[in-house]
Amino acid sequence: MSALLDAVAARRVLVCVGSGGVGKTTVAAALGLARAMEGQRVLVCTIDPARRLASAMGLGALGNVEARVPAEAFAAAGLRPRGELHAMMLDVKRTWDELVARHAPDPARRDRILRNRLYRQMSAALAGSQEYMAMEKLHELATDRDYDLIVLDTPPTAHALDFLDAPERIIDFLGNESARVLLAPAVGAGRLGLRLAQVGSGLLAKTLARFTGAEMLEDLGQFLSGFHGMYDGFKERAAAVRALLAAPSTGFVLVASPSPPSIDEALAFHERLRDEEMPVAGLVANRVTPDLWGGAGPLPDAAALAAAAPEAGALAARLAASLAEHQRLAEADARALARLFEAVPGPRAVVPRLEQDVHDLGGLALLAARL
Amino acid sequence: MLRPLLDRRLVVVTGKGGVGKSTVSAALALLAARAGKRVLVCEVNTQERVAPLLGASPAGTSARQARPGIHTVVVTPAQALREYGLMVVKLQAVYDAVFENRLVRHFLRMVPSLGELVMIGKILHEARAEAGGRPRWDLVVVDAPSTGHAVQLLRVPGAMLGTVPPGPLRSDAVWMHDLLVDPARTALVMVTLPEEMPVTETIELDEAVRDQAGLTPAALVVNAMPERRFDGAEAARLAALAGAPPPLGPAAQASHLQAARAAAAEAELGRLRAALDLPTTVLPLLAAPWWGPSEVAALADALGRPRPGEPAWAPEGLPGGRA
Repeated sequence: MSALLDAVAARRVLVCVGSGGVGKTTVAAALGLARAMEGQRVLVCTIDPARRLASAMGLGALGNVEARVPAEAFAAAGLRPRGELHAMMLDVKRTWDELVARHAPDPARRDRILRNRLYRQMSAALAGSQEYMAMEKLHELATDRDYDLIVLDTPPTAHALDFLDAPERIIDFLGNESARVLLAPAVGAGRLGLRLAQVGSGLLAKTLARFTGAEMLEDLGQFLSGFHGMYDGFKERAAAVRALLAAPSTGFVLVASPSPPSIDEALAFHERLRDEEMPVAGLVANRVTPDLWGGAGPLPDAAALAAAAPEAGALAARLAASLAEHQRLAEADARALARLFEAVPGPRAVVPRLEQDVHDLGGLALLAARL
Repeated sequence: MLRPLLDRRLVVVTGKGGVGKSTVSAALALLAARAGKRVLVCEVNTQERVAPLLGASPAGTSARQARPGIHTVVVTPAQALREYGLMVVKLQAVYDAVFENRLVRHFLRMVPSLGELVMIGKILHEARAEAGGRPRWDLVVVDAPSTGHAVQLLRVPGAMLGTVPPGPLRSDAVWMHDLLVDPARTALVMVTLPEEMPVTETIELDEAVRDQAGLTPAALVVNAMPERRFDGAEAARLAALAGAPPPLGPAAQASHLQAARAAAAEAELGRLRAALDLPTTVLPLLAAPWWGPSEVAALADALGRPRPGEPAWAPEGLPGGRA
């Protein structure tokens, strides 16, 4: 077994992190497949609507509930797993609604929140909302189900920090004390209003209203009062999620491609995980151009190639050009990755750029073999 | 060919992560600057790339000249909020009293999408700002975040029209939305790679910006297109030669990979063109071990080349644009 698969073998939760476009979803699925092949019960939870991956797994579409990859799909790929592979796609809006339903003290309150226009906007589009719900769902799956392994494919974060910060930031917003003070509903009047005039000299309130419009503040006040009292439940839950993430049975897998933005993101994330004492299980460098020359002297030009290999014939010039181009790309990749490998010690896998995108179980198995 | 786009006031560049948005943004800015335009490149709350790509040191959150004709700036929520707040209250003393108040600062950080709003607000403000009777910038290029996050950013003004009741925030949302969706002033450029996932995501992005942000993409850039170097029979021979000893073996293997990549890229380009009826510019794969000013210049050359049958471009209202 490889160093990377060895390092993740004992984990119950794997969280794949990295910037968009590095193949995080396929790496997550391949990690899951590897363990399912060995006889474990595995769930891969993705956020990306990777429809081809879903259909490749023999699943028509991935929904907010788990679906088991059917035996026929494995058979078609010539695979005989000893365990089970399940997959699901996170539906952010539905997860929010379920969360509200779970914490609302009564159906009337639940409906009031679900109907609020700020809530509807927030649950679909608030920055960090996806990240928060991914964490929320992970906790639910890890506590309520009995999978041997859950692999979470995280949303492509614009910022590495979003992922760890989002839950707290959003819960802070929902339970925001300063917002409560600023927007405190009038007590006893039977209707919601603003006591902005009571804050400080009134300057604060008036200026804020100029900034956002008084009605916006009122909307917000209603929205926050809807969540009033649910705050503690949310907070407890977030603390439990954090504990789950920091547990030794959890491992983060950094996924990066050799492009500079992806390397920067992986470095930032690694630093952050270290600061937060979150367990990093390994690193996957994906889509790497392999070195085909291995420093075996200077690259041959067309004439040298033609002389050394007469059978190349008319192809000699293009062969030499292709090799030179390939090695320039390999050199660029190696240079970019050296920076990452230096900063991130520990088990890693380097996966060469495959000739085809992974879009079936057979492709996933090939990728798993490279891990 | 993208040059006519550079006659707009605002060009927003977006696409899936890792497709080369920053290099394309830098190349577009360079192309406009070569034609004598004064350009501002905005990067959105990210590690700075454009200034280093142009050979300059990072600018940070205040605009700085990276090379003649091109300024760059990073737009962050904190700085944009500060500038917006100052515009609203106008007096520094009042601003400090209110916005530097701990309670208020904490509160403002929590308002949903306010960060996106003030960032897109600052960008749009720069795009319409005038100084001395003429636009402050001839062109503002936005190196926007990747797909999903870009849609979040671009949809904010429109979404606010639907949710925010009348007030100052709403009237700002109105002019922002008008500028953003005006094809005479604003162009959205989608960048992608000729590979399966980026192509699929670009097709989805096209739909998302139309549906959610009310924007119509103006152009498509397909980056890093490998050239077709071997025909079918030659490609088949390469596989057989790959097992030969060096130097032939490795060269045949590299060529085999190149041929496979080029064939896949052609298929993906075809799929993209069939799905999206947009002016499309295809940029060649540049195998550069390092990206800097000369690579960006090469990309700008390729971007500026007219497509077959297309008339040469002369920038509007500017004498002596270089062809």
